[in-house]
Formats: sequence, structure tokens, C-alpha cells
Amino acid sequence: MVSVINTVDTSHEDMIHDAQMDYYGTRLATCSSDRSVKIFDVRNGGQILIADLRGHEGPVWQVAWAHPMYGNILASCSYDRKVIIWREENGTWEKSHEHAGHDSSVNSVCWAPHDYGLILACGSSDGAISLLTYTGEGQWEVKKINNAHTIGCNAVSWAPAVVPGSLIDHPSGQKPNYIKRFASGGCDNLIKLEEEDGQWKEEQKLEAHSDWVRDVAWAPSIGLPTSTIASCSQDGRVFIWTCDDASSNTWSPKLLHKFNDVVWHVSWSITANILAVSGGDNKVTLWKESVDGQWVCISDVNKGQGSVSASVTEGQQNEQ
Amino acid sequence: MEELDGEPTVTLIPGVNSKKNQMYFDWGPGEMLVCETSFNKKEKSEMVPSCPFIYIIRKDVDVYSQILRKLFNESHGIFLGLQRIDEELTGKSRKSQLVRVSKNYRSVIRACMEEMHQVAIAAKDPANGRQFSSQVSILSAMELIWNLCEILFIEVAPAGPLLLHLLDWVRLHVCEVDSLSADVLGSENPSKHDSFWNLVTILVLQGRLDEARQMLSKEADASPASAGICRIMGDLMRTMPILSPGNTQTLTELELKWQHWHEECERYLQDSTFATSPHLESLLKIMLGDEAALLEQKELLSNWYHFLVTRLLYSNPTVKPIDLHYYAQSSLDLFLGGESSPEPLDNILLAAFEFDIHQVIKECSIALSNWWFVAHLTDLLDHCKLLQSHNLYFGSNMREFLLLEYASGLFAHPSLWQLGVDYFDYCPELGRVSLELHIERIPLNTEQKALKVLRICEQRQMTEQVRSICKILAMKAVRNNRLGSALSWSIRAKDAAFATLVSDRFLRDYCERGCFSDLDLIDNLGPAMMLSDRLTFLGKYREFHRMYGEKRFADAASLLLSLMTSRIAPRSFWMTLLTDALPLLEQKQDDDIETTKVEMLRLSLARNLARAIIREGSLEGS
Repeated sequence: MVSVINTVDTSHEDMIHDAQMDYYGTRLATCSSDRSVKIFDVRNGGQILIADLRGHEGPVWQVAWAHPMYGNILASCSYDRKVIIWREENGTWEKSHEHAGHDSSVNSVCWAPHDYGLILACGSSDGAISLLTYTGEGQWEVKKINNAHTIGCNAVSWAPAVVPGSLIDHPSGQKPNYIKRFASGGCDNLIKLEEEDGQWKEEQKLEAHSDWVRDVAWAPSIGLPTSTIASCSQDGRVFIWTCDDASSNTWSPKLLHKFNDVVWHVSWSITANILAVSGGDNKVTLWKESVDGQWVCISDVNKGQGSVSASVTEGQQNEQ
Repeated sequence: MEELDGEPTVTLIPGVNSKKNQMYFDWGPGEMLVCETSFNKKEKSEMVPSCPFIYIIRKDVDVYSQILRKLFNESHGIFLGLQRIDEELTGKSRKSQLVRVSKNYRSVIRACMEEMHQVAIAAKDPANGRQFSSQVSILSAMELIWNLCEILFIEVAPAGPLLLHLLDWVRLHVCEVDSLSADVLGSENPSKHDSFWNLVTILVLQGRLDEARQMLSKEADASPASAGICRIMGDLMRTMPILSPGNTQTLTELELKWQHWHEECERYLQDSTFATSPHLESLLKIMLGDEAALLEQKELLSNWYHFLVTRLLYSNPTVKPIDLHYYAQSSLDLFLGGESSPEPLDNILLAAFEFDIHQVIKECSIALSNWWFVAHLTDLLDHCKLLQSHNLYFGSNMREFLLLEYASGLFAHPSLWQLGVDYFDYCPELGRVSLELHIERIPLNTEQKALKVLRICEQRQMTEQVRSICKILAMKAVRNNRLGSALSWSIRAKDAAFATLVSDRFLRDYCERGCFSDLDLIDNLGPAMMLSDRLTFLGKYREFHRMYGEKRFADAASLLLSLMTSRIAPRSFWMTLLTDALPLLEQKQDDDIETTKVEMLRLSLARNLARAIIREGSLEGS
């Protein structure tokens, strides 16, 4: 049973492009073509505007919350080629840092797993991906991967942190040796996996789409050695890529579905068991993997008039 | 894509019905966000009216129901008790324990039903009242299904006792009899009451022949003309062979006796003994298991499973469990008579009669709005060793799958999440990792809640989560200028970097205000002081102050000396240390040794100072 528990009137004056709940589901950040980023307190079904952040000079495409252990930090990226990092200090939200290192629209921002530190990946229409690492005292170090995708990069998504080798508790202050990885999708129809081994380098190219890749989403880790990535594209297809073993590095795609229209957005639920796919056909479909590894559509979420009390068929376990 | 049994349902989100705009979706930690958007990223959006609303959607809203909370809480206790049942127990004693657990679950459902029923009656708003009433029906259906599963799968009643259990089952769930009985018996002339014969008939339908006989004796008293046939009918009712608990007859003996009795009834029918009383004649036909006669009583029977049980009682009382499904299917068909189609509840019961446990669970999953029922029932059936482990993706079995879904739903609630923890504990494959993912998302609004969460993590050696939570709390404390709290959280997180940061803040505060805050904490750091150099310095520096305050100047001096010559003093603090040294230098010391120390101090100071000046070029070097 699915119910609308809250309707937040953002009062954005133009199209909303992204809405993200914070880590705990208590705050909502939204961004819009009206160039603003807004933050609401949405506890207990209410809505209180906490901040109306101005600073971008063009439509803002995405917002992303950093892990709460770093404080209340939000990143936003925009058509104006800038990435802004906002921070809450003493109860007020302010611009903490501005990154203007791209030559055209920045389309996607994604924070790395908190285990790596405070690191932000930004993908831009100029084809480059920049990585901002917080080094302390208001300073951010920038690394740039130029020409990650020809024509442009549309999406970035980090792999969950997995400690390689043994899992012995490290003594304080000593960071275990993580291999940082993320996936990016671009206008070259490719998904690229980038890995940091001292330097950032392209580790893999995943080819299966026949048109621009619009979104990639790396599934959260559920403790299995498998890694899973979902990708969607202008070609109407959504693929699920899996890699069974951390060391083997062979990724195999499985076609989730071919839709009749562009698929714009894919996202995983926090325990990675449901994939939501937003398509150009005014619908959001929810997918779950069934017993025999096939992906099954479990629900259609459709915008339109009518009541919300339609029951959702969840959890089909086909035991055959 | 795999074939589903049906098309996935479409959920409509109320909003502007626009064919032009697309829908954006994302996951929150416990909910879903939906809003209108346009994915085509252009600088200027087309002149399409945009919608400023964002819809927050949740499933598992049942979690917020006040009354159902009792269900969740109490069943949690039963669940835990079940998990801890001695695995060594086998055979009869195990079975009786499992049956007891099943009955406990059912009584919890009934208690909840009763409470909700009261609320429904008392509801001022009719819409609310209706909602509660429908919840009561759902709970009632759940108990009906569970009860049947208990009889067939857990009790595993064999032929003979099976029918008795089914009779009890029907009597429990078709309860109009009691109100009817009260009406009729309460009247002046019961046998002349309009519903008298309805009452007698339904008593017969439910196999309550003793009570039916009593009714008939009233009729016999009231109309002497029919006394004779009433007596005959009463005798027939009295002599119907039935297996009673504790009866030592074998099934074969019972069957034989029943056959004879059935033939006797048949003879009375042939002889038209009851021709003068249509009521009695119809009762006779019922007792002969005549389908047409039974179907005439559809209204009194009220549902097909009552029809099924009555049919069995009067045509095949020693029915074997494996033959049930033939009767069940035909009963359903006959009762519905092609006029209506089976409802979900009917299909579930049918699946149970067919002993198709997986189908029962599957249909219940679809029909019900939350996972409570299927999770607990499946878990119990698994303990009865009835579920073959089908390996789902993720490598877990169905029991675990359902428990995970149920527990995840609990985490959406600000206090029920604690129940969820225990459920995750009993999911061997993915319970731990699911707990790890969920527990980090619990908002830590109060210190009490934070401590509770930490305790849970520490008990399970979830060190990463402990560290992460402590870091979050330390950061929050720093931002709210509660340095003492921040320090203790960073110590608990074993986070050297953060401890250094907080210690720096303490030292800076000291420089600005000339005194320390949170002295208790710093004085009692103990071995935690070793976490970071800066922290050690902070502790030792405070110790120096204490010694000075206690006028233990000699000790203070040597401590200060060691602080200055060690490497742990931050450069920004050298000025302060030197300033602290001044009063010591001016102290008049009596002891020679002390004087020497002070001399050394003076010398070292001078040397250090000189070195500092030369190296840094200025005393303000950080």
C-alpha cells in the first residue's frame, strides 16, 4: 500500500530538476531552472523552508547531500558551468566554495563514500570530470579527468567503499587502502569506470547503448562480492551490469527493458533491492530481481488524476 | 522479462494531469520522492507550466497505526520466543510448542481486532469508522487464514480429528449464531419466534446437535402434535456417531457406525416420516448431506467454506487431509453457482486446502498491505520444517526475504525500528548488512537515542557504524560549540584526526578566554589521551595547570619543561607556554635542587627562544 504522506510546495518558479532527501529523511533539498536551491525541513509531514540559496546563474540540474559526519553540506551543479558547495554554519546556510573549472554545463554531482573523505565528483558537458577533495580549513583540491567522454558527461556515480584484503580493525588515524572507483555515463554512448591508483585512470569501458547514456547508478553494497550498475539511455534501454568478482573485472550487461521513449533517470533503494526507472513516458517503474535472476516490474507509478490508494503488488516471489 | 501473473498495478499520484510533463523520482532513506519535471536539459524550459510540488510517498504506512502497534510489539515477543525454542525438541513436544506459538499469534490478532472494533464503533467521523471497520475485516480474514493454516500445516490433524478442528474453525468465524440464539431464547415463546427454525437449522449446519435437540424439545412442548416427530429427530441427532477427543474408537469403527446411522436417516426419508413438517424434513436432508438441501441454506451458511465443512460433516466425516481439496474446489464452485467469481480470500483458502503453502504465502503477499502476516506465518511454518529452501537471488530463502521486508518497514518508524533490529538478527544471510544499512539512517535527535543506537551497534561488533555515528555526533557537537561532548564522541569513535581538531579548539578557547571548559572530561581522559598527540598535549597541559594551582611548582615546572622539549606542543602554543613559564621563573625556590631545575629551565627557555627566533624569523610563527 502506497500513500502520499506529504506534499511539499517548493514555490519554485520554474521546472524542478532534482529533489534529494538527506541521510535521515528529515530534510529535502530541491533545485530548479529558476536558479535557486531550496532546503526544507520535512519532519512529521510538515514543510518549513530553511534556506533559499541563490548563487547560480543558470538552471540548477542536481543537488547532493554529503554524509552527516562532515556536517550539513550540500553540493549543487548548474548550466552556468559552476559547482557550488553550501554549508550550514551556526544555523545558517551559506556558500562555502565555488568550483568554476568547467567549460560548459555541469550535469551531475555525486559525493564519494564517506570512508574516502569528503570528495565530490562532477560531470560536465565539456566531457571532463572533476574531483574536489576537501583538504581542511576551507581548502579544496581539484583533480580533473579531461575528455572522459567525448561531447559530454551526463552522470557520475561512485562505487560503494569496499576494503580490499583483510578487515582487521585499523589503529586510529591509519586509513585502510581503499581503491576509489566511480562510473560515469556520457554522450559517447559509453559507461566508463574510473579508478584511482595514485592517479585517476580509465579502468573499463562498458559498451551496450546505442545513444547517449543519460544516467548511471552504482548499487549499494549488500555484502556480496557482486557489483551492480544500472544505466539508462536515450536509446530507451536500461541495462543492469554485474561483475561477479572484484578481481575478475568482467562486466556483463543484462537488458532490463526496452522502453518506448528516452529513459532519463535510474536510482536504487538504500538496500539495493528495488530499482526505480524514470522514463519519458510520464511513468516511473519499479523493478526487482526475482528468483532466477530475471528483472521483474513490480509497479508502475504514474502521475495523473485519481486516488492513491491503489495497492502496489510488491514482492512477487516466483518460486518456479 | 519474466511473465507475471498479472500486470503490475499502476499507482496514480494526484496532481496536474498533464501529458506534457515527465515524472522525476528518487529514493529517500525510507520514502520516495516524486515530482513533475522536464528531463530535457535546455537553458530555457519551454513555455509549459511547471508544477512546484514535490510528493513524498511512503509504503508501509500501517506502521503508523496506533492500534496495529500493539500487534507489532506483542508479535515481536512471540517471534523472539519462537526463535529461541530448543532446537533439540522433536516430535510431539515440539509440535505442541509450535501449536501454542500459533495460538499466541492468533490471540494477538484477535485482541487487536477487538480493540479496533471498539474504536470503529466509537468513531465520530463516519469515514473513519468505515476505515476502522474495514481494518477489522482484514484482521478477521488474517485470523481465519492463520487458523486454517494452523489446523492443516502445524497441527497436521489426521482424518477424524481434522473434521473436528474444521468445525471449531467454522464456529469461531461464523458467529451470527450467538446473537440469533440470544434473540430466540430471550423471547417469550422461543418456538414461535420468527427465527426459530433458522436457529435450529444453523445449529445443525454447524454440527451443534445437542443444542439443536434442546430447541426441538421446546417445539415439542409447545406443539404436542409434532412432539412425536420431534422426538424421533432428536434421537437421530443424539445418536449421530462423531469422533470425540479422547475417544478410543478407530476410524474404521467410526465409519461403520456412521454408515449405519446414515442408512437409518435414509430410511426415515424414504418412509416420509417427517412429511408433515417441511422444516424437519429439510433438516433430515441436511443431515443426509444432500447438496441441494444444503445449498438452499446459503444465506445461513454465508460462505462456501462453511458449506464445505457442513458437507463433509454429513457426507464424509472421516475425510483425509489429502482429499480435502476436491471437496474444497467443488464446494466453492457449487456455492458461487457461477454468479460471482472467487475473491482473493477464497483463493487463499483454496490454496491452503490444496496444501500449497507457497501459493498461500504468495497470494497473501499480494492481497495484504503490509508484510506482518506473511513474515510471521512463514517464519512459523519454516520452524515446522515445511518450507523447502528455494534460493532467491541474494542467496537467502523465502522466510528471510519476508522477514527482511517486514523489518525494513519497521525502520520507517521513529520507535518501532528497535523491533526491526531483532528481526534482522535472525536473518542469517543478509540480516547483518541490512541492519548496517538501516541503522545508520536513524535520525539521532537526542543523546538518548544516539546512545541506544550505539549500544545496539556495539553489541553486534558493528565497528564501522559505531565509528561513523560517533563522528556524526562529534561533528554536530562541534558545530553547536559543545566541545566536551565533541571530544568524548571523537574518543569513542577512535578518531584521531577529529580529536586533534577538537583539542585545537579547546586550546584556542583557552588562549582567548584564559580558562578551560569541560575540565572534568580533560582531567579524566586516562589512556584515551594517547589517541592523538594534540589530545595528549591538551591533557598534559591541563595537568600542568592543576599542579600549578595546587602550588606543586616543582612538579609543574618539570612537566612544563617536558612539554616544551617534547614534540607534541603545537607551534601556535609556544608563546603561551613561554608566558606560563614566566611566573615559575620568578618563583623563589628554597631547595637547591629546585633551583637547579629552574636554572635549567631558564637556560632551556633562552635556548629555545633563541632557536625559535632564528628559525621562524618571528615569534608569531604558527
